[in-house]
Amino acid sequence: METAVVTAINSLMLSAMYILVALGFALLFSIAGILNFAHGALYMLAGYICYIVAVEFGINPWVALAGTIIVMGLLGLFLERFLFRPFWGNLNRTIVTAIAIIVILETGINVSLGAGVLKQIPDFASGLIETSTFRFSVERLVIFAVSAILLAFMVWFITRTKLGLRMQAIAQEREGASLQGINIYRVAAFTFALGCMLAAVAGCFMGSLYNLDPFMGELMLLKIVEVVILGGVGSIAGILVGGLMLGTIDAVLPQFVSGQATQAIALGIIILFLLVRPQGFFGRLV
Amino acid sequence: MSDSQLYVKGDNKITKPALYTGLVILLAILPLFVKSPYYLNVCILTFTYIVAAVSLRVILISGQTSLAHAAFMGIGAYTSAVLAKELGWTPWICIPLGALVTTGIGILVAFIFSRVRALLFGMLTIFFGMGIIYVIQVFSKWTGGYAGIMGITPLFGISKVPYYYFFLGITVVSLLALYRFEFCRIGKTLKTLDQSYLVASSVGIDEVKTRVLAVGVGSFFVGLIGAAYAHYTLVLSPTSFGVLQSIYLVMYVLIGGLGSFAGPIIGTAVLVIIPEAFRGLKGYSPFIFAGLLLIINFLMPQGLVGLPQLIRSRLEHRKGKGGTHAP
Repeated sequence: METAVVTAINSLMLSAMYILVALGFALLFSIAGILNFAHGALYMLAGYICYIVAVEFGINPWVALAGTIIVMGLLGLFLERFLFRPFWGNLNRTIVTAIAIIVILETGINVSLGAGVLKQIPDFASGLIETSTFRFSVERLVIFAVSAILLAFMVWFITRTKLGLRMQAIAQEREGASLQGINIYRVAAFTFALGCMLAAVAGCFMGSLYNLDPFMGELMLLKIVEVVILGGVGSIAGILVGGLMLGTIDAVLPQFVSGQATQAIALGIIILFLLVRPQGFFGRLV
Repeated sequence: MSDSQLYVKGDNKITKPALYTGLVILLAILPLFVKSPYYLNVCILTFTYIVAAVSLRVILISGQTSLAHAAFMGIGAYTSAVLAKELGWTPWICIPLGALVTTGIGILVAFIFSRVRALLFGMLTIFFGMGIIYVIQVFSKWTGGYAGIMGITPLFGISKVPYYYFFLGITVVSLLALYRFEFCRIGKTLKTLDQSYLVASSVGIDEVKTRVLAVGVGSFFVGLIGAAYAHYTLVLSPTSFGVLQSIYLVMYVLIGGLGSFAGPIIGTAVLVIIPEAFRGLKGYSPFIFAGLLLIINFLMPQGLVGLPQLIRSRLEHRKGKGGTHAP
């Protein structure tokens, strides 16, 4: 019973993390048509930035988080404008750019901060909740709560605000939206920044729960791809469902089989799923 | 995607083969001048990746983005290595067997994945590539798992020179075969799938058969070179056949230029040799690779093969030959 509750919380929390990062990636793909392979690397970068601010400068982790979000947002604007906009619509060259970004970020972090002592961001909340039957850390609850609120805010934003509706319009019919007077470039830039900021949140939280690693972006990229495939392209509900599924698998299976086998099983499930239903849960057929 | 052939002045029918023959002759007499095993090793590595890249291009031009090509190379390498090690057969038999096994698996996978297109296909190949790594680790009794295989039966003795000629030979033969395949009647249908599978199927081109054929041909040659490579390095590790390596192979093709047969050859040569030249930078050498990617990506839309054309048009623009530009 006790493990069940702990596992449930873990799976919820992990799902929230995956959804946060996958959402940025999926939004970018639906709206701007940019397949940003570097999203995982950006998530990793955010974690390290937060680490530097929080540890090297000794600032409160929450403040560091806020700062990281702002920095990553600005970085997102920069990347979109100069590195991705020239290649709109050209998948091959976008991929090349993304790979270059990944290599630069990973190498840069690896040679500067990668080696030596394992790095971790200080806890965002401390303490344990102990009742007679189980105990778990407050931090995980806090992280999950913050992520859930953030995701709820995102859903509200996309469905209720003007900017969100514009994003939806572009995702549905880019030229039509442009004819209506929506500035697709500006919205795309904002989407990129938004994606980076979401990834920043996830990066900082994960960097606090687990150790930072220069290559953690690659693993996260794989998760992102899996979530988007499961959920289906062009659907936010799909991302939520896909993220939940994957988070649960990743939280539950390691209890029974090894970590590697978990990955293999998850991969197998996804391949089968793709072959049976290529459009994912709620996606449109590409 | 326009077809940019390597632009050579004069009659292409004579000058191009002459150029290539000259290159092959130069490469053939190279070991007479270059004795250092290190440089010979770089050359052999380059040959290996050239064959891998050109065979990948065959798959790419049929519109299938395969990110599992390094995994196929690994299949060929491991099959041949394990056969040689466990059954004691000579490498001269194991290598072709490795190529055949790779082809078989490639055909099977291509057939299973033929239901999906474009993006989803690419993602499936990523997962397949990772799956192969897991398989290698699961069967660690034969494959040595994560740590890898050691002590594979070598083809020749200690000296690298026979290996150099062996790989040069395989590379030339493979490239000739792949070139003939691309421009034969069936080979030409590959490109039609990429341009429009609807029009292609309306003309009677069987999409599934053509896609499987493309992957089969591509897998054969990459499996062949992978198996040969196993009996050269004598040591295999699963990480060298992972998704990252597959992505690098795709980079070699894209940077060189997808539209031309010479593209992957040039792309591989540049992206393997130049970072190798900067090896002294140790941990920083990936920056060179990334830098090359960015520079070529931004400045050369056609890839490296488009460079002569690009220079030519820039020069003509300077000289004022282009009358279409407003002053």
